[in-house]
Amino acid sequence: MPEDKKKTSTISPKTPPPAALNKVEKENEVNRRTFFSWLSLGWVAFVAATGGFFTMMLRFFFPNVLFEPVQTFRAGYPDDYTVGEVDLRWKEKYGVWMVRNDEGIYVLSTVCTHLGCTPNWQPSAKKFKCPCHGSGFRMTGIHFEGPAPRPLERFKISLADDGQIIVDKTQKYQQEKGQWNDPESFLKV
Amino acid sequence: MSDKKNIFERIAEGQIWKSIFRGGGAPKSRRQRMMVVLNSVFLHLHPVRLPKHAVKLKFTWCMGGLSFFIFLILTISGILLMFYYRPTIEYAYTDIMDLTEQVPFGIMREIHRWGAHAMVIAVWLHMFRVFMTGSYKPPREFNWSVGVILLVLTLLLSFTGYLLPWDQLAIWAIAVGSNMAGATPFLGAEGPGSSLLAIGDINFITKASDARFGLIGGRFLGEATLLRFYVLHCIGLPFIIMIFMAVHFWRIRKDGGISTPV
Amino acid sequence: MDAFKSLINYVSNPTILFTAVLVGFPFVFPPTNWFYKVHKKLGIDKLWTKKGLIIMVAITVAFFIFGLGDDNFKKIVLKPDNVPISGLIILLIFFTWLSLSQAYKNDKLIDEGKPVDEYYEAPNDKVLVWPDLVYVELISLILFSAFMLIWSIGLPAPLEEPANPSESPNPAKAPWYFLGLQEMLVYFDPWYAGVVLPTFIIIGLMAIPYIDTDPNGSGYYSYKNRMLSLSIYLFGWLVLWNVLIVIGTFLRGPNWGFFGPFEYWDSHRLEALTNVNLSEIIYIKWLNMGLPSNILLREAPGLLIMFLTFAVTPPLLARTALKSFYERLGSTRYTIFVVLMIFGVLLPVKMYLRWFFNLKYIISMPEFFFNF
Repeated sequence: MPEDKKKTSTISPKTPPPAALNKVEKENEVNRRTFFSWLSLGWVAFVAATGGFFTMMLRFFFPNVLFEPVQTFRAGYPDDYTVGEVDLRWKEKYGVWMVRNDEGIYVLSTVCTHLGCTPNWQPSAKKFKCPCHGSGFRMTGIHFEGPAPRPLERFKISLADDGQIIVDKTQKYQQEKGQWNDPESFLKV
Repeated sequence: MSDKKNIFERIAEGQIWKSIFRGGGAPKSRRQRMMVVLNSVFLHLHPVRLPKHAVKLKFTWCMGGLSFFIFLILTISGILLMFYYRPTIEYAYTDIMDLTEQVPFGIMREIHRWGAHAMVIAVWLHMFRVFMTGSYKPPREFNWSVGVILLVLTLLLSFTGYLLPWDQLAIWAIAVGSNMAGATPFLGAEGPGSSLLAIGDINFITKASDARFGLIGGRFLGEATLLRFYVLHCIGLPFIIMIFMAVHFWRIRKDGGISTPV
Repeated sequence: MDAFKSLINYVSNPTILFTAVLVGFPFVFPPTNWFYKVHKKLGIDKLWTKKGLIIMVAITVAFFIFGLGDDNFKKIVLKPDNVPISGLIILLIFFTWLSLSQAYKNDKLIDEGKPVDEYYEAPNDKVLVWPDLVYVELISLILFSAFMLIWSIGLPAPLEEPANPSESPNPAKAPWYFLGLQEMLVYFDPWYAGVVLPTFIIIGLMAIPYIDTDPNGSGYYSYKNRMLSLSIYLFGWLVLWNVLIVIGTFLRGPNWGFFGPFEYWDSHRLEALTNVNLSEIIYIKWLNMGLPSNILLREAPGLLIMFLTFAVTPPLLARTALKSFYERLGSTRYTIFVVLMIFGVLLPVKMYLRWFFNLKYIISMPEFFFNF
């Protein structure tokens, strides 16, 4: 603080009479101190307000309600699907492949785990091949070539009371997290 | 004959002409030519006098000026396109079809698209020239960095415009691009480290709250994406790029004009 | 004729094409004195004479004209969105020549102790903006506008089928100026190739004037006195950016497979490729045991390699090969420079590892979406 004191006495434009000097300087010092604490408070408030404003602007881009297509649908009866084949009938509308093997049915997402293109099912090679960067997936959804970092995702599949299959796309199961063992990711037939 | 003035001279000496163009008459003397540049808001982007290599095409390639000119072409043709184009999934594609087929002089979209390609190339070549002449060296370091930002903004403008026709070419390029945003470290739902930003079982970075969502306005490409890209392309990014362009041009002058050998 | 075509197809295979570019590059754009000497001895500097330009452009144009006789080549090159890239190739050759021919001329003048071409004596050598510059600008604008009009009338802008989110076109390509990045996406994970790498490119470009503190060669074309920085920049800009764009545009076909310029784009052509991670190579192939269940142990080899690359290499180089560099740049500049260089070198390294060892990831932690 000594430096501050010096400044006050030199900078102060009106030099008070000598008798009052001591008193005025003391008052001045208090004023300066309060001034600085108000100043820092002001800055904190300014930064907080600016930060809050930018948070608001950022939050503005994330609406509370989304108008997106329904994620749950009925996919017919288990017998509609042939064993050992990839069924493409829901690909267009819901973005899923239904695959039936000896044990049952599972639902694969048509979104490549690399960058979200739609792979093509190549029956001759028995693989899904992504046209964007050449990732390849086996019929199970396991990745084996190209840049895809992980297997295709599976969706929740269950049977309704009337025997129809219900696919729920809001629930996904990832193999690398060990979720394919989940009974809901797989429909035993 | 000689004291009779022709129509051009009479206009040039009239009150209207003189009120618009200060300096009087055609710029013939050295002084008048300097005043022309100083008195015009557009021309005084330039200094009054230049080193002689600055007007040689083999030195400048004219690429910086051309980039700015293409930007103006794109602004004008873009404004014209906005009169016909509606950024909704229902109309976007057909509006683009109409632009070629139903609108007189239907090459506005071609001018806009090829102009965008040309601008990317012009900006690249401008950067190439600036590097080859070492013009990024002091005192122009900061302006080089501003230029890099302008390059990025040019690419972003072109990229956001790519989606607007809403055809196969458009959505798959943007699908790939926006999924990259989903892989942003920490801020993307499929990026490394995002699962660390969680309290217990509650993940803060999910498909409905990550960087990709902010970009495309939903979990899937759709109506919101088209609108967001449209607004960014027509208003948001041009606004930002103009600010940086102003800084760029200002700094060229303040850093001593075109670079010269010391 | 067919033999020539199949030769071109064979040569454009990325392993050969990219290797040829990589090996040839330092001799065409020498980074050090030794390369410069060889470059002169081989007479490569003659490329930057008028004769060199004519030969380079003639070969390129002849190749395109010859190629247009081939249906497959024609189909790719005349695709509306690809036309600017053919133009870009010619423009790049021309402008590289234009800058380097002036640079070599100035190099010679400097050697002779004469002032460079751009040297002027202020203020006598100054010219007025009006009319000298305004006139040049006006002519350029008119010529360019005319060119734009002709281009727009002659070539309709592409419009494909309406968007269909369930059917990716094959191949699905990014806008052409991002094809260099898309090429990188084949070898790296999206978080790296799509986010981190572009960020580094931008930061690296912005950092150039702060790292290259050599005051030589400011304001005029020159090569010899700033060889290294020019060579590095040209490598990044010409090879890692534009050559990859050309590869991505003309040579990447269905399923993102490689196709020679005269090859038919067969969407049923299948390449059986099984990529393996480093951890699988080491634990399963070499040590003949299963993968350890502990993630850190499993990825230990990859993590170790990355640690060596980023934490050990820079200080090691500072003591040995790049010692003079380190002393000139200081530790901050040196660290930034070397780390950026390592990121640059990692690109071709990873490409070769993929081509020759089918290596997928050095570090693979899909549990955390972290693969490198």
